[in-house]
Amino acid sequence: MINFEEELKRFQPILEVNQAEEAIYSNDLKDISDIVMQMTQEIKNANMNAGGQLNSIVRR
Amino acid sequence: MATRRPVLCPNCGAPVRKNGYCSGCYMHLSVIKKAYNTSNYHYNVGYDKAMARDLSGAIESLNMALRYNKRNVLARNLIGLIHYEMGEVVVALSHWVMSVNYQETNNDATRFLKELKKDAIELENVDQLAKKYNMALDYAYRGEYDLAIIQLKSTIALNAHFVKGYLLLALLYIKLENYEKARVTLRRVLKIDKANPVAIHYLHEMGDTDENIIHMRSESVENDGLLDDDFLEEAAATKGDIPLVVTNVTRDNSLKNLFRDIIDKSKTKLVKTGEFGEIGFARYSGLYVLVGLVLGVFLLYFAVVPAQKKKLKAENEKIIKTYSEELADKNTQISELEKQIDQINTDYAKEKEKEKKNKNPLPDYSSFEHEMSDEDINDLINGE
Repeated sequence: MINFEEELKRFQPILEVNQAEEAIYSNDLKDISDIVMQMTQEIKNANMNAGGQLNSIVRR
Repeated sequence: MATRRPVLCPNCGAPVRKNGYCSGCYMHLSVIKKAYNTSNYHYNVGYDKAMARDLSGAIESLNMALRYNKRNVLARNLIGLIHYEMGEVVVALSHWVMSVNYQETNNDATRFLKELKKDAIELENVDQLAKKYNMALDYAYRGEYDLAIIQLKSTIALNAHFVKGYLLLALLYIKLENYEKARVTLRRVLKIDKANPVAIHYLHEMGDTDENIIHMRSESVENDGLLDDDFLEEAAATKGDIPLVVTNVTRDNSLKNLFRDIIDKSKTKLVKTGEFGEIGFARYSGLYVLVGLVLGVFLLYFAVVPAQKKKLKAENEKIIKTYSEELADKNTQISELEKQIDQINTDYAKEKEKEKKNKNPLPDYSSFEHEMSDEDINDLINGE
């Protein structure tokens, strides 16, 4: 049987015309390229941090 | 010796190195190509689903296409078009704006946006629809189901393809145990979106089989009575707020035709907006009578009355002329008669003068009496 309350929760208010700009900004989703680039950047940052730590150890 | 043009990364536009990695985003070209191909594959699946009017399925596939390549303009345009078809114009707008942002030239989204902006009535309707739907949702949360139903019906009157409105309306009918109306409402959803999962779920819960659902899709929704005038009366009675008049059938047909036309032409074209509703001529009958009366009065005043005046004036002039002639004749007669009177008076005076003269004493005949005898007198008389 349908649980009315649960079903009703799935309905969300829709955007009005003056909220269109907001919708446009929120619409900028990440695609696979963005994810790969983000991962690459994270690895790069991690390497730099690791390199920094290694240099500091060498200096000591 | 001709120099080779460097291969540019389709993701960021930077040159690709010899080892196949982009110098800008450090991604391997083969990965990008693979992602783009997958995106195109999902776009094609989405397109096929849209052609089969499985709009929910199409949205799912097109979203997948965008996850592989957010710059897939065709997928963006088509997903915007599908949202537009389902009454979610603001979502459609956001997709089209993003599409134009990625590709300004030779992009159908530019035209879509231009046409939508041009139609102020359509935008006003979109805004009204969103407000009414949100209000209906609020009523539903508060348990005021009747008011929610009225608002939802008016949203459907604004846009007969507003799927979310139908679904919420069906849910409320189910809550009120009006299953027949819920079925009618869901049938309309299936006409727009053949495999809408929520609609199918509700129908299953109401005990409909898959066969029933398939049969339901082929049934006509034109005279299902869902939007009979009773809701307009209800709305007027409860809120004093008469919904904007947009005929469902006209809009329904126009959108349907346009949707097909758009897909056929270039896979992503704009649904033409700005269809005006039929005018309820009966509503303005009083006004027409009033306008007719005013026109009649004007016609009488400016056309009939001057003609009558002219006619009367001509008749009067004729009568005046006749009387003037008669008067002149009479005057002539009078002057003649006056002359005659003068003449008569003159004659009379003369006669009177004569008479006066004749009144002088008769000659003295006494001498004759003494000197003449009776015989002489008789002789005299006889002799005369």
